[in-house]
Parts: sequence; C-alpha cells; structure tokens
Amino acid sequence: MTTPAENLIEAAVTACRPVEPSGELTFHPAFFDLDAAGRERLFVATAQQRALERALASDGLTTTAEAVLQRIRSRRGVD
Amino acid sequence: MSADSDQHLAAIAAGDADAFARWLALAEPPLRRSLRRFATVVDTEAVLQEALLRVWQVAPRCAGDGRPHALLRLGVRIVQNLARSEARRHRLLPVPAGDELPEAEVAPAQPPDAALRAAVSTCRDKLPPQPARALAARLDDGGLRADRALAAAVGMQTNTFLQNITRARRLLAECLRKAGIDLDLELA
Repeated sequence: MTTPAENLIEAAVTACRPVEPSGELTFHPAFFDLDAAGRERLFVATAQQRALERALASDGLTTTAEAVLQRIRSRRGVD
Repeated sequence: MSADSDQHLAAIAAGDADAFARWLALAEPPLRRSLRRFATVVDTEAVLQEALLRVWQVAPRCAGDGRPHALLRLGVRIVQNLARSEARRHRLLPVPAGDELPEAEVAPAQPPDAALRAAVSTCRDKLPPQPARALAARLDDGGLRADRALAAAVGMQTNTFLQNITRARRLLAECLRKAGIDLDLELA
C-alpha cells in the first residue's frame, strides 16, 4: 500500500505541467501539499524516474525532454 | 572525459529541434541536479521545463568562450536564476544558501551504457501487468496529458494509477539492485 504522501509525490513526478494562457509557469498542485521532507522525496523520485526513462528510451529522452520538445514544435507550428 | 556538448550548438542556434533533442539527452541530468538545493522551495520539474525552453530561445545568442559546454553552463545559470525568481514569486523563502558560490564545474551526462539499458529493459519486462500498464501510459504519453486522463485511458482510478506507478518504480529499483545496479548511484 502507498500512503497519501506517496500519492502526492507520485502525482507530481509526472512531466505534465499545463501552461497558463499567460505563459506563466505553473507548479503542480501536489507540490504545495507536500512538506519539506516530501518535496525532497519528490526531487529524488523524479530524478529516479527520469533516469529509468533515459535508460528505456532509444534516443535517451525523458518525458521531461519530450514535453519541452512538444512545446517547441507546437509553437513553431503556430508561428 | 565527455565530448563537448557544444557540438550541437550551431544546429540548435539555426533552429534545429532535433539537434536540441540530442543536446537535451546529455544536458537534462546535470541541469536537474543543479536544482537539488531548490527542491524544497520550487517545483523543480516545472522550473526545469521552463528553463529548457528559455535555453532554446537564447541559444542563437550563446557565443562560445573557449571553454567546453558553453550552452550547458548557460543553462545552469538560467535554471538557477529561474528557481530563485520562482521561490520569491511564490514567497517560498528563504532561498537556500549557496547563492554566492562560484560557478560549479558542470559536465554533460554520459548516455546510459548498454548493460544498464538491458538491465532496465529486463526488469521492466518482469513487472506485474497493472504497474506495467500504468508505467507504460506515462512513458508513452511524453508528459502531455494529466494523470487523470492517463488513468482513464487504462481503466484505472487516478489513485490506483498513481499507486501502480509508485509500485512499478519500486519494483524496478529492487530488480536493478539485485542485478547490481543502484539507481541512487546512477544519479550521483
């Protein structure tokens, strides 16, 4: 079983970070519900997850990199 | 000794997103590590993604200074300045100590070696069905959709989906440890 804190951490491990129409950077809502120790664990869990993603992807790209590239390419499509 | 990550700089500056992707594969790990001391005051994933977009935007103006990894060093400054700025904006102060440290030596990551790739792939194949499905949903999506949508797509409640992802990563780490691979050391 996982604890509520573990679920919050897992929710914020995702690379999905919706962008505000204003372009303003938004934090994952779960980040604000975590205490300092939880945020430290979030950092480690995210780094572990991305290390696994890097090893699994033939091009070495993580979901973070994919999300950034998607934003770059979609902006170019609009330009 | 790592090859100079600036080998991709000219193509990136010319607007080649594929070249930026190759640079990202080398640069993301050290840039993420550089946010370590901000982990309690900012959402480092959000900051990192925004900083990487800014690196892409300013790359055409990044002139080499005769030292290796100029774009990566610029990236470290961008990501850390953004982290400080976001910590202030969200009033999540104090900003951690260490602002006045001199520029740290930074090097791009090495690509995962074949043994690590094979071990991770083997361990992934051993995952039980539900954790495997949840993990695959996140990986295949590339950070585009929220977990609620991914969970629905694989027929799980969001909480169940999150529990399965956590379980998948825990099982992968245990499997890798048995294969003599410590993920924490890989991250160091």
